[in-house]
Amino acid sequence: MNDMETQAPRPSHFASSTLPHSKSVSLRNVSKTFGDTRVLHDLSLDVHAGEFLVLLGESGCGKTTALRIIAGLESASEGSIYVGDNDVTQQLPRDRDVAMVFQSYALYPHKTVFENIAYPLIVRKRAKAEIDAAVREVAASVHLEPQLDRYPRQLSGGQRQRVALARAIVRRPAAFLMDEPLSNLDAKLRGHMRAELKHMQHELGVTTIYVTHDQIEAMTLAHRVALIDKGVLQQLDAPARIYSDPANLFVAGFIGSPPMNFLRGTLTNNRFASEGMALVADVNYHGEAVLGVRPEDCMLVTAADGEFRGHIYSVELIGDHSLVTLNVGQQQMVVKVSNMFTGEIGAEVGLRASRERVYFFDQSSGLRIRQC
Amino acid sequence: MIRRLFVPARVDEIPIGTRVIAYGLLGLWTLVVLFPLYWMAITSFKLPIDVSNGPVYVPFIDFKPSLDAWHYIFVDLGPDTFRPYVNSLIIATSSTAAAVFLGSIAAYALARIEYRPPVAAVGLGVLMLAVVVAAVGWGGVDLRIAVAVCGALFFLLLRAIIRRARRHFANDDILFWIISQRILPPVVTVIPIYLTFKSIGLLDTRTALIITYATANVPIVVWLMFDFFASVPKEIEESAQIDGATRFAILFGIVVPLVAPGIVATGLLVLILSWNEYLFALFLSTANAQTLPLLVAAQNATRGPQWWNMSVLILIMILPVMLLTLTLQRFIVKGILVGAVKG
Amino acid sequence: MQSSSHVSSPASQRRASRRSSVANWLDRQAPYVFVLPAVLLILAFSIFPLVTSAYLSLMRFSLGEGGYELKFVGMRNYVRLFSGSQQFHFVGVFRPPGIISLSVMVAAALATGWWLLSYLRSRHRSVVGAIGRLIAAASLLALVWLAANTVGHGGELGSLMVTLFYVVFGVALQFLLGLGLAYLCTLQLKGGRFFRILFFLPLMVTPVGIAYMFRMMADTAVGPLAPVWAWLGLGQISWAADPWLARIVVIIGDTWQWVPFMFLVLLAALEGTSRDQIEAAQLDGASSWRIFRDVTWPSIAPVAASAVLIRLIEAFKVVDLPNVLTNGGPGIATESMTLHAFIEWRTLNLGGASAVAYMLFFVSTIACVSFFQLVVRRARGGQS
Repeated sequence: MNDMETQAPRPSHFASSTLPHSKSVSLRNVSKTFGDTRVLHDLSLDVHAGEFLVLLGESGCGKTTALRIIAGLESASEGSIYVGDNDVTQQLPRDRDVAMVFQSYALYPHKTVFENIAYPLIVRKRAKAEIDAAVREVAASVHLEPQLDRYPRQLSGGQRQRVALARAIVRRPAAFLMDEPLSNLDAKLRGHMRAELKHMQHELGVTTIYVTHDQIEAMTLAHRVALIDKGVLQQLDAPARIYSDPANLFVAGFIGSPPMNFLRGTLTNNRFASEGMALVADVNYHGEAVLGVRPEDCMLVTAADGEFRGHIYSVELIGDHSLVTLNVGQQQMVVKVSNMFTGEIGAEVGLRASRERVYFFDQSSGLRIRQC
Repeated sequence: MIRRLFVPARVDEIPIGTRVIAYGLLGLWTLVVLFPLYWMAITSFKLPIDVSNGPVYVPFIDFKPSLDAWHYIFVDLGPDTFRPYVNSLIIATSSTAAAVFLGSIAAYALARIEYRPPVAAVGLGVLMLAVVVAAVGWGGVDLRIAVAVCGALFFLLLRAIIRRARRHFANDDILFWIISQRILPPVVTVIPIYLTFKSIGLLDTRTALIITYATANVPIVVWLMFDFFASVPKEIEESAQIDGATRFAILFGIVVPLVAPGIVATGLLVLILSWNEYLFALFLSTANAQTLPLLVAAQNATRGPQWWNMSVLILIMILPVMLLTLTLQRFIVKGILVGAVKG
Repeated sequence: MQSSSHVSSPASQRRASRRSSVANWLDRQAPYVFVLPAVLLILAFSIFPLVTSAYLSLMRFSLGEGGYELKFVGMRNYVRLFSGSQQFHFVGVFRPPGIISLSVMVAAALATGWWLLSYLRSRHRSVVGAIGRLIAAASLLALVWLAANTVGHGGELGSLMVTLFYVVFGVALQFLLGLGLAYLCTLQLKGGRFFRILFFLPLMVTPVGIAYMFRMMADTAVGPLAPVWAWLGLGQISWAADPWLARIVVIIGDTWQWVPFMFLVLLAALEGTSRDQIEAAQLDGASSWRIFRDVTWPSIAPVAASAVLIRLIEAFKVVDLPNVLTNGGPGIATESMTLHAFIEWRTLNLGGASAVAYMLFFVSTIACVSFFQLVVRRARGGQS
């Protein structure tokens, strides 16, 4: 029952069955209203065949609703859904050729692991020999062979999750849908399963749409991330670009741990002024703005040398680095420093930020102000 | 084309065809539920001639409603109607109160205290019981003497047994025994109960029925309340224990308020059972302690069924229960469900 | 879940000693005080009468000059029920044996035999289990034999079979209807709550009242359905004069009353089914029927089994409906065993009445315990 057994990477069992089955998935102008509440606003997304797309956002932002609409468990109030070239908007879940892994795994408690995995094939009335071979092949690929005769209640959380995965894989669907599959696992197991999932998706080459609120999962697993806030798509980009080229305040503040520092001020004549201090800004913009810079992109200097000055509020030793929180005027900023840092609370320090790593956002709309 | 009726318009909606059939079936059952009640209600406003000439369905259109039957039941038969009504009220409420009280404290004790009655002691008890029965029936010994003698014997031998006993029953066994009393058909116990009450002169009294109903319903109370008590977090009681409260204080002051919904649900269920009970009343009551079910059944005896009068009686019998249940139906449903789901 | 009855920590002991010694003594007696009243009540008015009833069933009661007389007659009362003067009343009248009855018998014997053998060969067998199953199998075979030989032309049912008829068919019908209605209410239809409250209504009507209500309704001459009967040409038939029609009317009344119970319990169970599992099955491609079979049914099985058991226990005791609806008639055709006992008692045959009551006790207990062990236990065991 050792979940953590790391075995040498198995040769791909699916060489014969990967890409041809994978299809693209598209949402075109999908909106969803529950009663009086609009949960999704005109959402459009194209997931390429074979791509791992993560729908990222806070609880209640609509990402799970979007996933369920793709699956067919909810209907879209407006808009359409495409799997490959087929408009599946009116089709029942079973006809859409997608498989889903639920957050709770949704295993059938009265069936053995074998029967759970075999269920999609049994329902489609495949031959017994075919079912047997397929189930064993998939079980081997997720290291579940010894558990085939057990019942879900006899398995650990990690094993149950792999059964859910196997059940999805065995159908060779056009796309996988995953609803926060790792959230019920403990932290250590989660990290291990992330790597497993990434490897598996690469092996199978199946289009995968993955919902999570954990930005680390998003950044590590995704080919592209779709960040959603209050039912509106904020940015759809590769993780690296989401990190280094955020489209608005929400994206900038959501990705990154600890989160990006925001300083409110005014932009005039290529200068950003805030809390009585200023720095040169290479943007053509006039108005209330927000300056954003990540803690890891700042450094502490003496008060005289700093672009901004402030007093140390607290120093936290994380391990391989420390985090220093400063009061800059009425606002606060966090700076990542070396773990040898010896500043005292209350001391006056200065802060410098690398020019390329400073972002500006319009204060009212939150949109990014780009360099000219 | 017909098939299309059964395909949903949107994926998470129910197709039109299915919806029509579902509403149809539900509507049919609604009719089945309501029509007999409606029929009975309008019959109570009918004159004999309205009934015997063939069925008439709508008041004011098919026939002229009259209060004759109501008048007859309430005025002409006045005391003969009120007596059973009052009897039913008193018997139902008293026996329910007794059953809920005794059953709840027993359930609480079984949930919190560990009992270990020796098997041998229980065996001895049953033996003594059989001896009493044989002595009274066969030897003609007076009941009180037999009970006294056997009781004394029992207690004398009890000491010796407790010290030497090796096998014991546990709480689960006691619980099972109490709950399994429900399987006992009342008709098995009713004749001896009749004889007992007759010999102490309590036949045809309210007391007899109150005691009998309480006994019959204690098992249900224990069964339902046990789960409620078991689900109270022990820490609450333990902190009260540390503070020095007695078991009684803890039970009545702390635990009971927490299980109040359970008590209401159980009480309601038992009240309805007592209100509607027929068999024991049939055997044990004739005139003085006549209850409503008996009164209704008695209407059959005379000149053939007088549907109009009977309808009035049934209505006044149903209405209090219906009103009470409708206002508190949430509790009853919970009570039934706790029992069925956990039991 | 169970704590020991004595107070143990020193702090509480100190506080305890501050209370009066009477309160202390009472507290230590609490275990007895709480449980004994209920136990004594049950002992006095349940167990004692039970034993007395057994005793009475071995006696013959007769009224004499100065009072009553009880004469020991051994098993005579029971023998009379099975093969003596009361046989027609309890067991029924045997029909001439035919091909159908013989083949039913053989089929039942083979099926039970096979079932017993497979148990004996299974891994989990035990002595108690074997004895229990043997009793259940023997009883079942006896009842099947009885049914095969009293149902149909030339045979008459006795109160034993009539009771079983009410129990088996009544509970089955109530279960199926309750399940159907509950399932319909789980579909997202408007007015679900309205139906819930409405369907609960029949449980509140007193059984005696239900009996009269249905007598009124079933009256072929002046009942509300009279036009329907007349149109069907059945206007002159009195259902009360036909044994089977009368029994069916009793079942209709019983069903009307008890479907709400099944409905409520099964509705709660259906609503407790994991929505995720159902959706997973939908995505896996299962049709509605398959989903019900593979996901919903296993999920509600434990609750359904418990509910059926509760209903079984109560169904054996039925008396008000046959008594008031048909007075046990025509003849004895609709008499349940309880009613049979009551009628014996009316004729002052205390011994006979007790014997019938005890037979009901045996049959009821065997049936309910068997059902519990074989069905309820299994249904609950399969739950994760």
